[in-house]
Amino acid sequence: MADKSKVGVKLPIYLLEVERVKIRELMRAIGDDNPIFLDRSKAQAEGYPDTPCPPTYATLAFQEFTGAYLKILKMLDVPLERVLHGEEEYEYIGEIFPGDVLHCQMSCESIVEKKTRSGSLDLITLQTIFTNQKDQTVLKARSLIIERL
Amino acid sequence: MTPLVNFRELEVGDMLPSVEKDPVTKTQLVRYAGASGDFNPLHTDDAVAQKAGLKGVIAQGLLIMGFVGQAITSWVPKHHLKRFQVRFKGMTFPGDTISVSATVTEKVSEGENFRIVCHTEAKDQNGEIKLSGQFEVLAPIDPS
Repeated sequence: MADKSKVGVKLPIYLLEVERVKIRELMRAIGDDNPIFLDRSKAQAEGYPDTPCPPTYATLAFQEFTGAYLKILKMLDVPLERVLHGEEEYEYIGEIFPGDVLHCQMSCESIVEKKTRSGSLDLITLQTIFTNQKDQTVLKARSLIIERL
Repeated sequence: MTPLVNFRELEVGDMLPSVEKDPVTKTQLVRYAGASGDFNPLHTDDAVAQKAGLKGVIAQGLLIMGFVGQAITSWVPKHHLKRFQVRFKGMTFPGDTISVSATVTEKVSEGENFRIVCHTEAKDQNGEIKLSGQFEVLAPIDPS
């Protein structure tokens, strides 16, 4: 069961460098060939300084490459084998471009216990604020993690 | 690339042209694991998935969200997309064919823009919903 006294807890800020080849890899995996995200000249023709990141790029900031989910769930005493990813939300404030260095601040926004017919759940909301090297907040992400109790 | 949909002219209840994806493949799940960093073996190793009581590997939820992101940015310029939220509802298996649909649920003018909210769903070939959610677009009222 998640430690509800730890609502508000934050991970130390960590960095994510935005790499063009990782954007291409993500696009290839999705099967999306939209040139806005792949071809700088096409993006510039649409008024972008470079190729913007696709809408779900921020997911790279959470798992194997940073360990952020693992670290915060450990801080909250949530066992990994009992969790499911329930919801994901992105609020786009600015664009993210290759070469940007994102400062990622993940925190536990809330933990709510919910009773269902098949048992109790903890609904854990994690928020991550992404700020670029120019100190502009470009994205807020929210992940709802479900712990089966 | 010209966006397919003129959001200024949309009204509540209008449906966007649905986007049909190719069938999900196991190779794609491996590619997505490497691309995203989600290396949970439930997505790449049939033996692990079967031990967990599944018939085999399942797709990463974020891959299906990625399909919806692809659909949205085929309809609207990326910089007009302001919010995108999904709830994961069902498991997707290799061989499933996902289609993404969206309907306008709200349209209000806000300064120089329309704020347009759409409900979106990703379904498989049997109509089973894999995820549902919504997204918000800010589209300039005056296109010039």
